[in-house]
Amino acid sequence: MNDVFSLIFSQDFLVRALAVGVLISVCAALLGVSLVLKRFSMIGDGLSHVSFGAMAIAAAANIAPLYFSLPIVVVAAFLLLRMSEKGKIKGDAAIALISTGALAVGVMATSLTSGMNIDIYNYMFGSILTMSSTDVTVTAVLCAVIIFLFIAFYHQIFAVTFDESFAKATGTKASFYNMVIAALTAVTVVIGMRMMGALLISSLIIFPTVTSMRLCRSYRSVVYSSVAVSLFCFISGLVFSIKYEAPTGASVVIVNIILLGVFSLLGSVRKISANSRLHPVKSVLVCFVCGVCTALFAAVLFSGSVNIYEKEKTTVVTTSFASYDFSRQIAGDDAEVIMLLSPGEESHTFEPTPNDMLAIKQCDVFVYVGGESEAWVETVLEEKGADMIKVKMMDCVQLYEEEFTDGMEHGHEHGEQKHHGEAEYDEHVWTSPLNAVLIIDAVCDALCDADSVNAESYRGRAESYKKELRKLDDDISEAVRNAEHSYIVVGDRFPLRYFTERYSLGYYAAFPGCSAQTEANPVTIANLCDKVSSEKIPVVFKVDLSSGTVAYSISEQTGADVETLYSCHTVSADDFNGGETYISLMYRNLEALKKAIS
Amino acid sequence: MSLISCKNVYLSYESNTVINNLNFEVNEGDYLCIVGENGSGKSTLIKSILGLKQTASGHLHLIGGINGGEIGYLPQQTTAQKDFPASVYEVVLSGCIAEKKGIFFSAAQKRKADENMKKLDILSLKSKCYRELSGGQQQRVLLARALCAGGKLLLLDEPVTGLDPLVTAELYSLIDRLNREDGVTVVMVSHDLFAATQYATHILHLKKDNSFFGTVDEYTSSELYNGYKGRDGR
Repeated sequence: MNDVFSLIFSQDFLVRALAVGVLISVCAALLGVSLVLKRFSMIGDGLSHVSFGAMAIAAAANIAPLYFSLPIVVVAAFLLLRMSEKGKIKGDAAIALISTGALAVGVMATSLTSGMNIDIYNYMFGSILTMSSTDVTVTAVLCAVIIFLFIAFYHQIFAVTFDESFAKATGTKASFYNMVIAALTAVTVVIGMRMMGALLISSLIIFPTVTSMRLCRSYRSVVYSSVAVSLFCFISGLVFSIKYEAPTGASVVIVNIILLGVFSLLGSVRKISANSRLHPVKSVLVCFVCGVCTALFAAVLFSGSVNIYEKEKTTVVTTSFASYDFSRQIAGDDAEVIMLLSPGEESHTFEPTPNDMLAIKQCDVFVYVGGESEAWVETVLEEKGADMIKVKMMDCVQLYEEEFTDGMEHGHEHGEQKHHGEAEYDEHVWTSPLNAVLIIDAVCDALCDADSVNAESYRGRAESYKKELRKLDDDISEAVRNAEHSYIVVGDRFPLRYFTERYSLGYYAAFPGCSAQTEANPVTIANLCDKVSSEKIPVVFKVDLSSGTVAYSISEQTGADVETLYSCHTVSADDFNGGETYISLMYRNLEALKKAIS
Repeated sequence: MSLISCKNVYLSYESNTVINNLNFEVNEGDYLCIVGENGSGKSTLIKSILGLKQTASGHLHLIGGINGGEIGYLPQQTTAQKDFPASVYEVVLSGCIAEKKGIFFSAAQKRKADENMKKLDILSLKSKCYRELSGGQQQRVLLARALCAGGKLLLLDEPVTGLDPLVTAELYSLIDRLNREDGVTVVMVSHDLFAATQYATHILHLKKDNSFFGTVDEYTSSELYNGYKGRDGR
C-alpha cells in the first residue's frame, strides 16, 4: 500500500473522490472554454456565490441542498445572462450585485439557524473525501448530460461563441445556446461545490481554458487541451493532498497556477522564436527544460511511497482535544492515541485528510463527539470496514439543548429549557467534570474490549484519573459556593453550557456554543454591558482561540477585565506542546472564574 | 429579380426613431453602398434586413429569408475575437452552420469551405490561427465564412475598418470581383464615400427624414452628395 495509486484504488472513499473529481473536471473544462472566450468568466464566479446562498437557505430550511439549489442557480444563470446582454445594469456590475446579494441572503439564513449549520463550511471549502455513493451517482448522471449536450451542440456553441451576430444571421438560435451554456454552467457549479467549495469552484472552470489558450491555436485543440489540463491538475492535486496532507481543493488550484505559468512561458518562447529573435536551438532548449521540469514534478509527485498511517498497537482515534486527553490518560503506554484535530485547528471547520480517514478505518476504538461540527463522521462510519468500537461522547451523558441567547430573553435561569423548533443539542458535553467521568467509563470499557490483555492497567488508570476529576469537581463547587455573583458574562460563543449547568451558575453570552458568528447584534452587546455594569461584574470572558472582539468591546465600555475560558474542544499548539491537559486547562478556568464571581 | 424590398420602413434604435419612411430595392447583381453619418442607422438597417431587429413599422422583405442559405453576412469584428483561439478552417466552416444536419459537418460542406478559401486566396492559411492573422487576412476569412453561409447576397458591415489603404484597396477589388464575376449581390455599409461611388451601382444615403436612394450617377449629381463631400473635405 505504499504507492499512491494503489492506495487510492484500495479505498472506497478515495475511488469515489477520484470519480467525482474526474467527471467535474471534464465538465468544468468544457464549459470553461465557452465562458472564458465569451468573456463570461465572472458568471461562473457569480453563480458559485448564488449556489452558496441557496445551500445556506436549504440547510436552514432543512431541504436537500442539491435539489433546492440546482433550480435556483439555473434561474440565476439565466438572469445573469439576460442582465449582461440587454439589462440596463452592465455585465460586471450585474454579476457583483447578484453574487454579493446571494451571499448576504446566505449569511442571513445562517444566522437564523443560530449559525450552527456546519454544512455551510463544507459548501464554502468543499469536502471531496466525504462523498456518499448517492453523490457519485447524481454527479455521474448530471455530468453525462453535460458532456452529451456539449458534444451534440459543439459546432453551434463554437459559432455562437466566436461571433454571435453572425450565428444569429444564419438563423442559429444564439440565445438558446447561450442559455444552454448558462444552464450547464449552473449545474457544474452546483455539483462542483460539493468538491471544491463555493470559493474555489470557478477556478476549475476558468484556469484550464486560460492555460490552454497560451499555447493552442484552434478551438478544438483548446477544448482537448483544457480537458487534459483539468484532469492533470485534479489528479496531481488529489495526489499532492494525499501525500502532504493538504486540502484537496486548494491543491488542485495551486497545480493549475503552476501549469498556467509553464504554458505562458512556453507561449512566449514560441512567440519570440517565431519573430526569430531567439535562436531555434535556444527555444528548443527552453521547451526541453520546461518539459523535463514538468515530467520531474509529475514523477516526484506520483512515485515514491506515501507516508500513510500504519498502526502498530491498539489504537484509539479521537477527534477533539478533550476526548484525546481522556483517552491518553487511560491508555498510558499500552495503546496509541491519535488526535485528528491538529492543535490550534478550528474544530467547526475541520475536514478530515485522507490519512485521517485511513487512521479511522484502521483503529480499534474511535472516540468522537457526535455533534453538528462532526457531520462528516457519519459518512465515514457508513463506509465498509468501519467496524471499530465507537464511543460517541454525546451518548454518554444527559444532553441539553443548544440555547439561544439573543436580545432580552437570554436571562438563563437554571434548568430552564427552551424549545426553538427543532432541538439542537449542545455538543460540548465534556465541559462538566462529572460528564468527563461518564465518558472515561465508556472509553475505558471500549479499550478493555479492544485489548483485554491490558484491561487491568486501563481500569487502574481510569480509576485514579476519575479521582482527579472528582477533586476538580469539588474545587469548582466550592469556589462557586463562595461566590458573590450568581452569573458570568461571556462576550463570545458559549461552549461551557454543561459546566455552568453542573454548578448552577447563570450565564449571559453573545452566541450559542457552536456559533460561527463573530458579529454581535448591538442589542446583545448593550445587554451584556448592562449585565456587567448592574452587578459590577469584574470579568468578561472570551473563549480560547477566539479573537474576542465582542468581549474586548464590552471590556472597553464597562472597564471589566477580559479573561479566557477554555472549552478543551481544541488547544493552541503552544498549550499542546507545553503538555497541558483537560484538568490543567480546567484549573485555568477555575482561576479565571474565581476572579469573575468573587 | 428583387432580393430586398423596403417600403415605407421606420427604424428605431433604443426607442428613438432614427429613420423615417425609407424606400429602396436591391435587385440581383446590384452593388449597393449604404452611407451616412455616424448614428444614422446603417448598422441598424443591416440588422433589420437580417431580421435580427424589428422594424418599427413598414414593409421590409428579404427574398428567401435568412434561412434560405443564400445570404452571407460579414459583421463588424468584436473585441472577443481579437484573442480567440480558432483556426481559419474552423471559422470558415462555421459559415455552414445553418445547413448542418446532425452533429457533424458533411463532406460537401467541408468541400464548400475549401472552395471558398481558395476563391479568396486564403487556402494556404487554412490551419493558421485566426488571431495571428493580419487585419486584411482576417477580413478575407470572415468573407469566406460569409460565402459559406450564402453565395447569392452578401451583407457587409464596414468591412475595411482599421485596414491600411493598400489592403483596403485589395479587399474592395476582391468584393468587386465577387460582384462582377460571380454575380454576387453586394450590400455594403461604408464610411468611404469615394470607394462607394467608385465600385457601387447604387447608393443609399441614410438621413433621418429624407434618405437618398438611386444609382451612383444620380447620387453624384445630387445636392446631398455635394454637401456631404464638401464637408468631408474631398
